[in-house]
Amino acid sequence: MKNKSPNTILFASGLFLCILVFWVNLSIGSVAIPVGEVIGRFFGQEFSKRSWETIVIGYRLPKAFTAILAGITLSISGLQMQTFFRNPLAGPFVLGISSGAGLGVALLIMAGSAFGWSVYSGGLGLWAIIISASAGAVLVLLLMSLTAWKVKDSMTLLIVGLMFGSAVSALISLLAFFSNAEQLKLFTVWSMGSLGSTQTNQLIGFLIASLIGIIPMMLMLKSYNAMLLGEAYAESMGVNINKLRWTMIISTGILAGSATAFCGPIAFIGIAVPHMARLVFRTGDHSVLFPASALIGAIVLLVCDAISQLPGSAQTLPINAVTSLVGAPMVIWLILRRNFSKEF
Amino acid sequence: MVNLQSKNLNIGYQSGKKSKAIAEDLNFNLEKGKLTCLLGPNGVGKSTLIKTIMGQVSPLGGEIFLEGKPLTFYSQKALAKKIAVVLTEKITTGNLTVGQLVALGRIPHTGWLGKLSIEDQNKVEQAISQTHIGYIRNQPLSECSDGQLQKTMIARAMAQDGEILILDEPTAHLDLVNRFEIMHLLRKIAKESKKAVLVVTHDLEIAIEAADVFWLMQCGQPLVTGLPEDLIINGQINLLLPSDRLSFNPKSGKVQPKIDEFAIQIEGPEATVQWVQAALKKHISIDKLQTVQIRVEENPLRILLKQGEMEKEFLGIGGLLEFLD
Repeated sequence: MKNKSPNTILFASGLFLCILVFWVNLSIGSVAIPVGEVIGRFFGQEFSKRSWETIVIGYRLPKAFTAILAGITLSISGLQMQTFFRNPLAGPFVLGISSGAGLGVALLIMAGSAFGWSVYSGGLGLWAIIISASAGAVLVLLLMSLTAWKVKDSMTLLIVGLMFGSAVSALISLLAFFSNAEQLKLFTVWSMGSLGSTQTNQLIGFLIASLIGIIPMMLMLKSYNAMLLGEAYAESMGVNINKLRWTMIISTGILAGSATAFCGPIAFIGIAVPHMARLVFRTGDHSVLFPASALIGAIVLLVCDAISQLPGSAQTLPINAVTSLVGAPMVIWLILRRNFSKEF
Repeated sequence: MVNLQSKNLNIGYQSGKKSKAIAEDLNFNLEKGKLTCLLGPNGVGKSTLIKTIMGQVSPLGGEIFLEGKPLTFYSQKALAKKIAVVLTEKITTGNLTVGQLVALGRIPHTGWLGKLSIEDQNKVEQAISQTHIGYIRNQPLSECSDGQLQKTMIARAMAQDGEILILDEPTAHLDLVNRFEIMHLLRKIAKESKKAVLVVTHDLEIAIEAADVFWLMQCGQPLVTGLPEDLIINGQINLLLPSDRLSFNPKSGKVQPKIDEFAIQIEGPEATVQWVQAALKKHISIDKLQTVQIRVEENPLRILLKQGEMEKEFLGIGGLLEFLD
């Protein structure tokens, strides 16, 4: 498609903005570090205070990378869902992935206290959370794949996915009802999301999972473009809808599942960012929207994380609350300002 | 030149062990360079036939041959390079321009990123110029009229560059001028690009004017094919009108009530009389007209009504209707 040069400019400035936000993100927190010092550190200079090195490299850098990865994975799975289901309000979690992960974590916390060990007892506890969340997400993913194998209609698939999601959420509520205050608090904290709990080890795991999840989408870019015209037209242009449905479920399952496993459920990024990409790049072409969503997703989550640090105070807000607070007005604004059905 | 052929084709839907037959024993040849119109009442299986030809629905029996080989011989991708379609589905994507949508037609021919080669671009340009939509190529779809949208969809199908072009009711929802234009555009495409064009339509009058071949589909009857003019002369066109009340008038080329029960005599110039009669037929019951005599004059229009001794004059049909009602 045409208009290569304006897109190049947009991507270049997006990348620049991303790096800038990245540095600002590193400088913000309970200890304020001047942005200049942070940038200097990346060009070989040393921090003027020793403790800053530990704060930035040991804690804030993995957090920023986690934000970037989570932003990318959530946005890309949202983009796939919206195009596949031809629904502007679809997001990465409509097929119940995050509920599944939540169920895994809820079970872990219940079992954990039953066996007398705390989930937050260090590195092992983190991996335990990640693994149980992944297991929950994979379980839902398997159920959805089974459904997709039986059901050929996309709308039915979407409805079944929503039903799975609410059924699993109901199970979580039941678990919560029978759990004690401490367990409830643990689960609630997890469900508010956290970018800061991943360390370098987990970050590598997250990176590998993201790459595995992104590959199927990259192979299907052309098919997603064909899907803009609906399933019947896509089929008439040689797109194998069944194959696309499978790769979509697997790709979004891995992407949204790993994001939830490593950071907890993070709302709204997956719904809002693909719309922002369409708005900024004014195109429906997925070979543009795919990198654009990834870039904007990274920027938005870095910004949300910076906001959640409440610059100038020692407090931090839960990231899920911030993304929702930023995302909800965003989606409302989009709906009010533009005619969704026309622009989508 | 035969491009697509069927032998004793049975179409319908299969779900599990149950199958629902919709039409049976269809035999046809779809030829290159000709505009073929498929006509028939709603629910007779026209769309199912199209889906069967597209390979999206398997036939319940019989076979379809594309360029001499059975349809099942072709993969979905290979078929996409042979057959392009314009469907009734409304395109909801507003974020594409006309040019971009036409370029989507090249999807079966491009690599995994969908990047257009020089040849692809040429085909897109050709499709755009043949359908005369160059002037709106940078316009978003959300700002296109229905007529422009339909031409864009036709251009997209052209860009897909199959030998066969199938259109499902391309003129529905369009105004008169656009219907006429689209049909003649399709005829031109068939002639100039040597494509086999199959159009499902309910626009009998425009179809008669533009089509080379008619396929008439009627419930429980074999497919009737032939030159539209031949079908009119031998009366087979009435297959489309199974009801007792309507028939095709070969003289006017229009569908009209079979028995003209409305036989009120009106004197005057033929064209004017025809429309006065039409208005009376629509609004006034026949028994009210038993006792009246009507005469019309032209330039200026005067309608003279005689009822026994009373005479009345009207300057328009409206006044006459009001009086009689």
